Amino acid sequence: MGSRQITEKSLAMLRSLPRLSLGNIRDNPGSRKNIKRGRGQHGGDKHGAGNKGSGQRQNYMRLGYETGNNPFYLRMPHEHYYKGHHHRRQYPPISLLEIQKLIDTNRLDITKPIDIASIVRSGLYNFFPDQKHFGIHLTDEGMDIFSAKVNIEVQWASEQVIAAIEKNGGVITTAYYDPHSLILLKNPKSFFQTGQAIPRRMIPPPDVIEYYTSAEMRGYLADPEKISEERLRLSQKYGYQLPILESDKNYNMLCERKDPRQIFYGLEPGWVINLRDKCILKPKDEELLQFYAS
Amino acid sequence: MATVWRSQCAFARFFVGKTGRILNNAADLGIKLTPESISVSTTRSYSNYSHSPLVKKIKEQYDFEIEKNPPEWAYVERLLPLEIIPPVQPKETYPSGWIPPKEEAKDLPYFMPRTKNHELPIYLVITHKGQRKVSMLRKIEGDIWLMNDLIKEHLQKNFNRYIETRVHELGRFIEVKGDFVNSLREWAYSKGF
Repeated sequence: MGSRQITEKSLAMLRSLPRLSLGNIRDNPGSRKNIKRGRGQHGGDKHGAGNKGSGQRQNYMRLGYETGNNPFYLRMPHEHYYKGHHHRRQYPPISLLEIQKLIDTNRLDITKPIDIASIVRSGLYNFFPDQKHFGIHLTDEGMDIFSAKVNIEVQWASEQVIAAIEKNGGVITTAYYDPHSLILLKNPKSFFQTGQAIPRRMIPPPDVIEYYTSAEMRGYLADPEKISEERLRLSQKYGYQLPILESDKNYNMLCERKDPRQIFYGLEPGWVINLRDKCILKPKDEELLQFYAS
Repeated sequence: MATVWRSQCAFARFFVGKTGRILNNAADLGIKLTPESISVSTTRSYSNYSHSPLVKKIKEQYDFEIEKNPPEWAYVERLLPLEIIPPVQPKETYPSGWIPPKEEAKDLPYFMPRTKNHELPIYLVITHKGQRKVSMLRKIEGDIWLMNDLIKEHLQKNFNRYIETRVHELGRFIEVKGDFVNSLREWAYSKGF
């Protein structure tokens, strides 16, 4: 019998066999472990627990304990600047260079205001609100090449970053979002699908109120007149001609800001978004309106 | 599987003719029960909470205005995730330093396509706690051996030393011993990839 015939025959055999399904497959070898504790030659004696001590008795020492030695973690004096590190807010960085790259590769639309939702939507930035991440820190890498006119909203920015954006005729705002709002901003679709009403954004905690009300940092709670003064002051400091916003053809887009209680652009707190029927439910009840306006 | 079904049928046997007893349990011989079909008779005295009828409809407490296709829907669409990675629209300049692939690269006997994120598939692989650095060129199509020779020549000219490479023809990648990612990127851009 030639090899061709063997192939034909085995293929014919295979065709007559039942289809592979969950009902006729076997587990991978070694995937099931015998939970019985063997005796004697079948894994008896010490049963894999070793000879004497913690292994056999499961009285494992606490972490860092060195059986009476002065433990390593207590040997040097404490470092107070790490105190409360697990409570501090973190702002995962994204640089101006990366933002420019997102714009160049059409991941970000600069004809619309950019916020954390649109940056996460690009798929190349991620953050985890449950791990004390409170939004974007816009860093200064690539500030010399940055040349897009944008209306951007970030959570933390330095002076030179603000200057780099305003030099190109753009606008930057620093805004605070509470973790719950950030969860919604990270994945708006899954939130809309739950059918819940959009909540209000919370006000910043006391230690950052100063940052978000300062015009130098372009805080979202700052006085707009003071911000325009600061824009001029910064342009004089860094030595560039400040483009006039009012004469810009995208003036309306550049002036678009969120309400301090608003999470998404154009969508007010209290609204329910129905993705399937493409409709928006707006509350009419006076009590609700008052609640969401406060 | 068979054993599982038999046991479920055995369970259902208790409820034959007594469908009122099965509340949310729909494992009743393939018939899907709705709450209406198994509503508890009203003559029962409710000594136990489990005997009371199911809640049928929760009354809506607040009044809502329902708007179909409102003008604000554009703001919702802006938030929905991208279906595909958007193709790059040609521009005059790319300030970020990103370079678009050129058409003439397709005429070469070897080819390296961009990744789905429009980047070059050239990576630095660091292993052995940073002791071993290997530059990896992936997704190579066409004459991989010719490409290997050219890369070797280019790097030898730039760095003035022997460059060790490894070609995996089936896996379609070339590994270059050492960190030459930037130089290799420059070479790939010069070829138009």
